[in-house]
Amino acid sequence: MQSIDHHFLDDYACRNALRGIDTRIKLILGLGGILIAISADTPYAPLFIAIILSIVTVFIAQIPARLYLALLFIPASFALMSVVVILFVTGGGVPIVTIPLPWLTLTATDAAALHALLILSRAIGGTCGLLFIALTTPVIELFSILRSLRLPDEFIDLAMLLYRSIFVIIGEAVAIYNAQVMRNGYSSFRKGIIAISMLASSLFIRAWDRGEELMTAMDLRCYDGKFEILEPTTAPTIYQFFPVLLFLSIAGILAFLPLPFPPL
Amino acid sequence: MHIMEGFLPSPWWQIWFILSAPFVIMGFYALRRMVHENREALPLLAVAGAFVFVLSSLKLPSVTGSCSHPTGTGLGSVLFGPFITSVLALIVLVYQALFLAHGGFSTLGANLFSMGIAGPVVAYAIFVAGKKAGINEIVTIFFAAAFANIITYVVTSLQLALAFPAEVGGIMASFVAFGAIFAITQIPLAIIEGLVIALVFKYIVQLKPEILIKIGVITQERAERLREGWA
Repeated sequence: MQSIDHHFLDDYACRNALRGIDTRIKLILGLGGILIAISADTPYAPLFIAIILSIVTVFIAQIPARLYLALLFIPASFALMSVVVILFVTGGGVPIVTIPLPWLTLTATDAAALHALLILSRAIGGTCGLLFIALTTPVIELFSILRSLRLPDEFIDLAMLLYRSIFVIIGEAVAIYNAQVMRNGYSSFRKGIIAISMLASSLFIRAWDRGEELMTAMDLRCYDGKFEILEPTTAPTIYQFFPVLLFLSIAGILAFLPLPFPPL
Repeated sequence: MHIMEGFLPSPWWQIWFILSAPFVIMGFYALRRMVHENREALPLLAVAGAFVFVLSSLKLPSVTGSCSHPTGTGLGSVLFGPFITSVLALIVLVYQALFLAHGGFSTLGANLFSMGIAGPVVAYAIFVAGKKAGINEIVTIFFAAAFANIITYVVTSLQLALAFPAEVGGIMASFVAFGAIFAITQIPLAIIEGLVIALVFKYIVQLKPEILIKIGVITQERAERLREGWA
């Protein structure tokens, strides 16, 4: 399937080796890593976080390394474009690269290069934190966390119904797309535009019908405006909590130590 | 156009969370009111949100050959108004981060503001203005969806420029630089999204106008007029 990305990370999250660990611990680890990575003033802490969380995700949670590497490259095009801009617009220090263009001259200085490197390392550290959560925590386990945050019931029910609906209609989207490809629906740009519009509109109408059917089904089961969720029965143990605390402390110390950067 | 995880430094990621919060809270109230008035609203909103999610994971045929996908929030805003759309966009953005590694948690506030608030508000304003002026709905939808996309990208450029101002020329110079580099992919994409959403709207009016009439997007007479126009 080339055009529709339906290999959701949630599939892997439901089968990962850390599935049994308390959700709160995993969230503290992932979100804590992200927070420390984006607050760091030197690239050391973000890179430490990136390395440790990658090891945890690939070796302990047993996510295929090939998949993990491919995922790290998803935001690469955004990172590349933005880092190039930062490299050439921020300044200070000694110019290291100068590119003369007909209408302006682009100059990158050593300070700008260090700045770009710092931004890039933060983004990599943050992405590893995000991937850790995405690959080890199934979305269904987040709903009880949302409820304990006292978000409105309507909002949580909407999030749950939306989650379910995604899987229902993505299957239809793939089926329609395949049928269109079989009939040369995307053989030219113009046909492609028409085909994708037809796909989206019939998908919308079918999704709407599904919604009405779902409502009937919910009424039959006495839906009263709140889905009950089974709360987790396991409590986080000290053996789970200690390594997380240790990791976050080392990362935090690395982030706020006045280490020299660049190292020379 | 998602800003990737970890890209925005302090204090900008916090500022965008704070700026997005009032819209989401308004959205919570609008959602509660809608659900209390009409019990059918919740599953229908859910499938509409799922539709936006699936739409945003479709790759559009693109001129530049880059990975480009529609934001889909323009359509949501026309159907349900900007506040409800901001709540839907919040859920969709979290799922995009968790399922597809697009966007992230620390940049959620900034992405929500550009994609779930600024874009939909503009789309809604264009749609309402076009409706008052009596312009053909298909044309207004084209502009609403295309501008929702363009505004999203302009706001993203602004967010990056504020966080990373230029040495010479400050925020403005940096804004122009980010805007110029993203424009290469985003301008054609906005036009394509406008076309696709307008065609989607046209097909819905042709095949099942009851949906749009029921939620008050167009009236019975307008739907019949539009269908006669094509016949």
